[in-house]
Amino acid sequence: MSASQSAVRSRAEAVQVSRTLDWMILFTLFTAVLGGYHIHYMLTGGDWDFWTDWKDRRLWVTVAPIVSITFPAAVQAMLWYRYRLPFGAVCCVIALMLGEWINRYLNFWGWTYFPVNFCFPSNLVPGAIVLDVVLMLSSSFVLTAVIGGMAYGLLFYPGNWPIIAPLHVPVEYNGMMFTLADLQGYHYVRTGTPEYIRMVEKGTLRTFGKDVAPVSAFFSAFVSIIIYFLWHYFGRWFNKTDFVSGEGI
Amino acid sequence: MKTIKDKIAKLSFVALLLAVTSAMFYTPTASAHGEKSQAAFMRMRTIHWFDLDWSKDEVAINDTMTISGKFHVFAGWPETVDKPEVSFLNIGIPGPVFIRAGSWIGGQLVPRSVTLELGDTYEFKVLLKARRPGDWHVHTMMNVEGGGPIIGPGKWVTITGSMGDFVNPLTTLTGETIDLEDYALDNVYFWHGLWMAIGVAWMMFWIKRPMFIPRHIAVTSGKADTLISAADKKVAIAFAAGTIGLVMASMGSTNEKYPITTPLQAGLMRGIKAIEMPETSVAVKVEDASYRVPGRAMQMTLTITNNGDSAVRLGEFNTASVRFLDADVLEDESGYPDDLLAEEGLTVSDNSPLAPGETRTVEVTASDAAWEVYRLADLIYDPDSRFAGLLFFFDEDGNRQMVMVDAPLIPTFI
Repeated sequence: MSASQSAVRSRAEAVQVSRTLDWMILFTLFTAVLGGYHIHYMLTGGDWDFWTDWKDRRLWVTVAPIVSITFPAAVQAMLWYRYRLPFGAVCCVIALMLGEWINRYLNFWGWTYFPVNFCFPSNLVPGAIVLDVVLMLSSSFVLTAVIGGMAYGLLFYPGNWPIIAPLHVPVEYNGMMFTLADLQGYHYVRTGTPEYIRMVEKGTLRTFGKDVAPVSAFFSAFVSIIIYFLWHYFGRWFNKTDFVSGEGI
Repeated sequence: MKTIKDKIAKLSFVALLLAVTSAMFYTPTASAHGEKSQAAFMRMRTIHWFDLDWSKDEVAINDTMTISGKFHVFAGWPETVDKPEVSFLNIGIPGPVFIRAGSWIGGQLVPRSVTLELGDTYEFKVLLKARRPGDWHVHTMMNVEGGGPIIGPGKWVTITGSMGDFVNPLTTLTGETIDLEDYALDNVYFWHGLWMAIGVAWMMFWIKRPMFIPRHIAVTSGKADTLISAADKKVAIAFAAGTIGLVMASMGSTNEKYPITTPLQAGLMRGIKAIEMPETSVAVKVEDASYRVPGRAMQMTLTITNNGDSAVRLGEFNTASVRFLDADVLEDESGYPDDLLAEEGLTVSDNSPLAPGETRTVEVTASDAAWEVYRLADLIYDPDSRFAGLLFFFDEDGNRQMVMVDAPLIPTFI
């Protein structure tokens, strides 16, 4: 077969090849993002995502959206501007959460026996859906960063509250008050994670009474906007075809 | 000839694969906690654990045991380790094989980090509830911020039974009795499952149609706008509105279901009560100290003055949790771990009772394989070659006095 001849002989065959390629690319994208995003999130979000006694109303709320909007922004840049596919953010967080669940279930529970109700991951889906929809409706990465990024940060805490609220019920234990999440951290011994490493409830937000979470969420949302811009450009840069040779790319 | 070479190469490759694969089946249990790897000066000159008691050697699932004793915070704390201003009484076990049901320093529950004072001695207790069957090496441990884990002695404890029987019941301040082992687990699975299903549905909406090649062709040929239809936009708006609606509704229903919740509890605990140690009437001056590498022995020249009113004898030298005893004076009855106990490891040139008011210079030798086994001999390679430890003197009635010693150490190689 010469180079000028087509590899397919009919339209049906071309469609079949195209769909096969779709699945191959999607599978590759999904697993690559799963690995890369997972490592990134473990290194930057780490313990805040691992343990319930780190999921507080100040730092977890602030840190998790900021460090997790990264890959969604970059993958959106690729999928939208090259293919008009508006599921980059959701694809990323589903890949991340699948990877996290595999890790938490097999490693945290299966190997080291930490109860799953102590080490489940954060839920990032609500913000990702809104991020994708804003991009699709606006077709503007500036609006996606500002409105979508803001929504991504703001939806994080309420999207997780139904999951963590039962663990914030107070309990009296040996004369002190704990939340059940605190008690999980105390009971289930982490030899390598002493209590002072835990970064929770630190900061100077003391003038908002008990309503700190919304303030933290707004701060997180603002920073998420900036991080979205940054990672959007990372996505665009990685999305260039300068790295491959060939004509007609 | 080439065929033979190829066959050899192929077989070699197969053999290599087999060797690598079979090596995977040899996975011995890692049961130690790196206590021997920790720099000797850290174990000798930071936290000195003594009077330790593991209440049981064997414990059934759901039963409890305690580790209790005392620790002295060495006044000559090394410069290279942050001072124990933020410390956490931990326990060295391989994961949550026990749950830590309680831990106390000076009678105060210490679920959080504490401030310890240099030179003070504290009483501690850790209550453990058995969770996972097996033989476990259970260590005392003090984590110090900026210093790392300072591990104490460990002892093997066997847990019997089945982990499936383990329960961790608690009654909350709202009056609900729960089992913390699997509390709210269904709730976690439900919400994660639901949101992931919604996310996958959003993806499937796009995946079900041709994706990369046709869409890329359309985008590059200027027909990108044709790829998103009005119906697509309606579906997207429904997803976004549904997402926001579900978040708000679920938050509202959660607040109704759990009207009383509190923030995570955190903060440093200060004012931990130290033991009022009796005034020491024995004064010890270290004239010199050397470590004889070939003999695995440390020799000290001590000038001891008895300022008390009863005669005393030196019974024990305790450093880095290794106890060197003079068997004529002291016999261990606490069941201290064998590998850390040199029952006849302490030799004193003249250990006759030191009368009140008397001063005597003696040669003290602490020798045992533990110097090598526990890598304490590596002290000679530390940047600040000093040793430290506790000396225990006993009078005729068995009363004990503790004296801290700290001095430079000179190695001898011949």
